Amino acid sequence: MIDWGAFLIVFVSAIIATIIVVGLYSLGLRLLTRAGRVPVVGPAEFTDAITVITEAEAQHAAKRAAKAARKNPLTDAQKNVARFGAYLCFAACGAAVLYGIYLIVPYFHQ
Amino acid sequence: MRGGGVPTQRIVPVDITLIVVLVVAFALFFDFTNGFHDTANAMATPIATGAMKPKVAVGLAAILNLVGAFLSTEVAKTISGGLIKEGDGGVLITPELIFAGLIGAIVWNMVTWLFGLPSSSSHALFGGLIGAAIVGFSFGAIDYGVLLSKVILPALIAPVTAGLIAFTATRLAYAMTRRYDGKPDGRDGFRYGQIFTSSLVALAHGTNDAQKTMGVITLTLITVGAQAAGTGPEFWVIAVCALAIALGTYMGGWRIIKTLGTGLTDVKPAQGFAAETGTAATILASSHLGFALSTTQVASGSVIGSGLGRRGSKVRWGTAGRIALGWLLTLPAAGVVGALAALIAHLGPIGITIDAIIGIGVILGIFLRSRKDKVDPHSVSEVAASGQAVKIKRNPKPKKVRK
Repeated sequence: MIDWGAFLIVFVSAIIATIIVVGLYSLGLRLLTRAGRVPVVGPAEFTDAITVITEAEAQHAAKRAAKAARKNPLTDAQKNVARFGAYLCFAACGAAVLYGIYLIVPYFHQ
Repeated sequence: MRGGGVPTQRIVPVDITLIVVLVVAFALFFDFTNGFHDTANAMATPIATGAMKPKVAVGLAAILNLVGAFLSTEVAKTISGGLIKEGDGGVLITPELIFAGLIGAIVWNMVTWLFGLPSSSSHALFGGLIGAAIVGFSFGAIDYGVLLSKVILPALIAPVTAGLIAFTATRLAYAMTRRYDGKPDGRDGFRYGQIFTSSLVALAHGTNDAQKTMGVITLTLITVGAQAAGTGPEFWVIAVCALAIALGTYMGGWRIIKTLGTGLTDVKPAQGFAAETGTAATILASSHLGFALSTTQVASGSVIGSGLGRRGSKVRWGTAGRIALGWLLTLPAAGVVGALAALIAHLGPIGITIDAIIGIGVILGIFLRSRKDKVDPHSVSEVAASGQAVKIKRNPKPKKVRK
């Protein structure tokens, strides 16, 4: 009566999908950082309630990122490989999401 | 005609067209409030971490809810078929019954919203319908197997599942970006990822929550014979439900931007990314199999799970308990309200009128209440409350948090 198999399918597919997406994205970030391109988010305010990132914080983060990039021990070729790998990871991550949506829409299977 | 029914159905016939119009109107309103209430689930985190501008986030959520509603109708089929026994050996569902169920759902949603109790729109809807069916017929009117396997069990399992997934994903995200040398770790980059994951949550919300209203309207159309039994929702039903939830999302967003306070500031980008991915994956996978689970509960489970995945985290059991209590209470409470509405509806046209007046009163109440600017953030978002259910120590080792 109760389809335990279906619950298992939901759990397994959801955890696999999450691990793929989060894993690829994290790996991409790691490679990007390795390539000396630390992502920095600009200052942002959340209306009048809270300031998420102040101007000073954003500048500080940018400075640290630049410093880390200067001290990067990798050669230019290695940096390029890392950067390329990062983009590849982000692309694969996006593809995984699109594939997931493709699987869910019945319209594509009829 | 009514096999197995209890001989209490001496309802004075109400004009069918009128009642169908009423049901559709109230169902769409329910859909609207659903979107109104749930924008926070998808968009509060990226707004709070500065990944997206509020205006952009809310607009995007509305569009994706609209799109999501068209993607899959599996959940709508669950609701319109099976939960209440129909046909041979079952009961004849009347539009009045569905109407009473809807009133129950809307009233309970409103009450919980006013008192800041965590609640789930989906469970309010199911509770209302079940309560109405039991009063209208008997306890035998409900297919408890379907209720258990498609509604109650998913409701219990899904938040835990999502929490477990988000926990694992958060651990993974932190482990993969961790640096022991104190150099920038690039975790700010998760903010950009959040734009996409939160969009996925909004999309998943559309595929799951808009379906519930479609299911109710389709069920009504089937009962009055405007549509063949066992068929899926008509295109116009899908379209109006998608529009209603998108509109609700858009309108609700502005309020949330105004009122959401510090509840989600504890959520860091990496954690938010992991939580949103877990939420989206769980909802999409279960929608695909026709489980009508509560988006709010899954999102809350994810936020708690991902909080636990961070270093130095501790559950605030008081807050977590309050959330869990809300989960357990909604279904029976909405059932009682739905049952009361069904009792009133049994009076015939007068009863329906009274119900409609109560419903409209509640709608007016929501409208007036939403005009106020300052509201307790907990009443706006259960997910925000979930963010506070996990206590996280500042500056956990080995990562140095930027000042």
